Amino acid sequence: MSDRILFEDVSKFYGEILGVNRVNLSIPPGITSLVGPNGSGKTTLMNLMTGLVRPTRGRVEILGYQTDDSENLFKILGYSTQFDAFPKGLTGFQFVYSYLRLAGRDRESAEQLAWRVIERVNLVDTAQRNIAGYSKGMRQRIRLAQALAHDPKVLVLDEPLNGLDPLARSEMIALFRATAAQGCYVIISSHILHEVDVISDQVVLLSNGYVVAEGQISTVRGEIQEHPTQILIRCNHPRELAAKMLENELTIEVAIHKDERGLLLKTRDADRFYLALNDMALNGVDIESIAPADDDVLSVYEYLIGNEEAVR
Amino acid sequence: MKRLWWAQIKAVVRLEMRKTFFARRGLWIYAIAALPVILFVAYAIATSTQQHRRATVVSQSERRLTYQDLQTVKPGMPSQEVIALLGKPPIRFHWTDRQPASADQNPENETMVEVQREQYHYSDGQNDLFVELADDKVESINLGEGSNPRQDSIVFAGVFQFFFLRLAIFFGCLGIFMNLFRGEILDRSLHFYFLAPVRREVVMAGKFLAGLLATCTIFVTSEVLQTIAFLWHFPASARVVYLYHNHGLEHAAIYLGVTLLACIGYGAFFLVAGLLFRNPILPAAAILIWESINPFLPGILKQFSVIYYLKSLCPVDIPSAPGTPPVLSLLISNSDPVSAPVAVLGIFGVTLLALYASSLQVRRMQINYTTE
Repeated sequence: MSDRILFEDVSKFYGEILGVNRVNLSIPPGITSLVGPNGSGKTTLMNLMTGLVRPTRGRVEILGYQTDDSENLFKILGYSTQFDAFPKGLTGFQFVYSYLRLAGRDRESAEQLAWRVIERVNLVDTAQRNIAGYSKGMRQRIRLAQALAHDPKVLVLDEPLNGLDPLARSEMIALFRATAAQGCYVIISSHILHEVDVISDQVVLLSNGYVVAEGQISTVRGEIQEHPTQILIRCNHPRELAAKMLENELTIEVAIHKDERGLLLKTRDADRFYLALNDMALNGVDIESIAPADDDVLSVYEYLIGNEEAVR
Repeated sequence: MKRLWWAQIKAVVRLEMRKTFFARRGLWIYAIAALPVILFVAYAIATSTQQHRRATVVSQSERRLTYQDLQTVKPGMPSQEVIALLGKPPIRFHWTDRQPASADQNPENETMVEVQREQYHYSDGQNDLFVELADDKVESINLGEGSNPRQDSIVFAGVFQFFFLRLAIFFGCLGIFMNLFRGEILDRSLHFYFLAPVRREVVMAGKFLAGLLATCTIFVTSEVLQTIAFLWHFPASARVVYLYHNHGLEHAAIYLGVTLLACIGYGAFFLVAGLLFRNPILPAAAILIWESINPFLPGILKQFSVIYYLKSLCPVDIPSAPGTPPVLSLLISNSDPVSAPVAVLGIFGVTLLALYASSLQVRRMQINYTTE
């Protein structure tokens, strides 16, 4: 049995509209983020993964399970969708409890599991209230509770941080990390790039239905060798250092940081540039710290698909 | 595995019951199920009032009359003879009328004559006799036969076949079964079922059972109430004779059975229609037309219909009125009935076929609410 989530040459068309095209992915355990603007194919990939839609071409396999084998697939998979609708008239508790009963759990175990997961998402106080009266954040959390209720090995979360306040966001992020730390596969979609940047082990960058890059953020960054790397150098005399840096053949652009306490440099060969900086520091040039300034997913995304789409 | 499936079906039924029984958009189903009950209750009240009036007439009569006594009065009899036969009328009206002296007289110089008119009202407790007299001679007789269970059972059969079966149950099943999947697609909540570790066929079976439970409860209750209302106004003795000696009980049981089979058959039809079509109006109209033209279809095509089998099971034949065009007679009577076991098997066959088609469709179904 495979230990990966596999997409093999997967395409999905909604009539003549492209959902995703020629997707090949092999997703390992940990937190994987699907990143892209609206309409880039994130939800389609998640729906393909969970069998809610079927590929027009290609094959999707989740840890060895076919996606049309719902009976077995959803024993190991939980999906918190973006659909903000619930069966009518249910309380938060009943929503999670009914799902567990539907999964075949007996009354006692369903009740136990439901309360346990409701506690995990911090909704105990409001669990007996009708979902119709929930705020957006509460609805988001109860959906997450349903997806987590049966301790799935694969957790698919479509825009899970939408509508959550900062405190709830950090709680949820901690929850995703804890789940991933147990060896689970956590797939998160988001168009808020800095959010997934800090929590992801891997990213899959999507644009207009195509996977434009995938892997660890640093690896993805490394794949784009031809694009300049931006480096932030903290120092007390940025203007003097800027003049020196411009003499270096590896430097292609220098700018003084807006706080006047450092430089932003661009280079095509980061490795050689770091070595050169080390030499300069040894020769008495005052440098406080060096850090990659664009090794985040936003920068990578900007490089790949252009700034306009990335910030859309 | 079967135990798990059964537990899952029960879980689906529990979730669906709330929606099928208490949905606001399903209130009209209760209304159409209640219509024939209201009709029979109104009929029972009207008949009871008549019965009460007859009892008053009987209590005021000089002697106890039989139906045969009422039939002895003939036109042309003098009033004395009528009174000799039936006694002094318990209710008598008299008035003076003016009419032309002869029918063929010229209207310009006609002469009017006075006619002494009377009306006698007799009753044997079940039937009314109205005797119209002109100048002390019987001019016309109106023997109004009161209701009896046997005769009224034909009215009951008519209401059952032409309203309850073809319209109430038909549209009730349409409202409930078509919404089992379609309603949830419109509410964007169907994915809740499709994301659970349960076979989609099991979800379909659970939803079908929930729909069946709802329609059977609503329409069987309506049928029971109709039967009670239909029999309620008859004297206890007439009820006993009808129920135990004239197959009344047997007919009531058959009507209940036909109601259940109708819910099963139409339920399966509308379940598959709800899965195949986005707009329920078109398949509903198509099925309604298909069921209506059933008597005119060739034998082989007739078998792919629910009404064909249900009509064969109905216990009372509705006679066509004299002079009814042959085309209409075809609609009323069942010219080509099948035996009860074949009819029951036929409905189950059609149902299984529809459920099989539903299971194929539900397996193929994709969740894409934006295109709905």
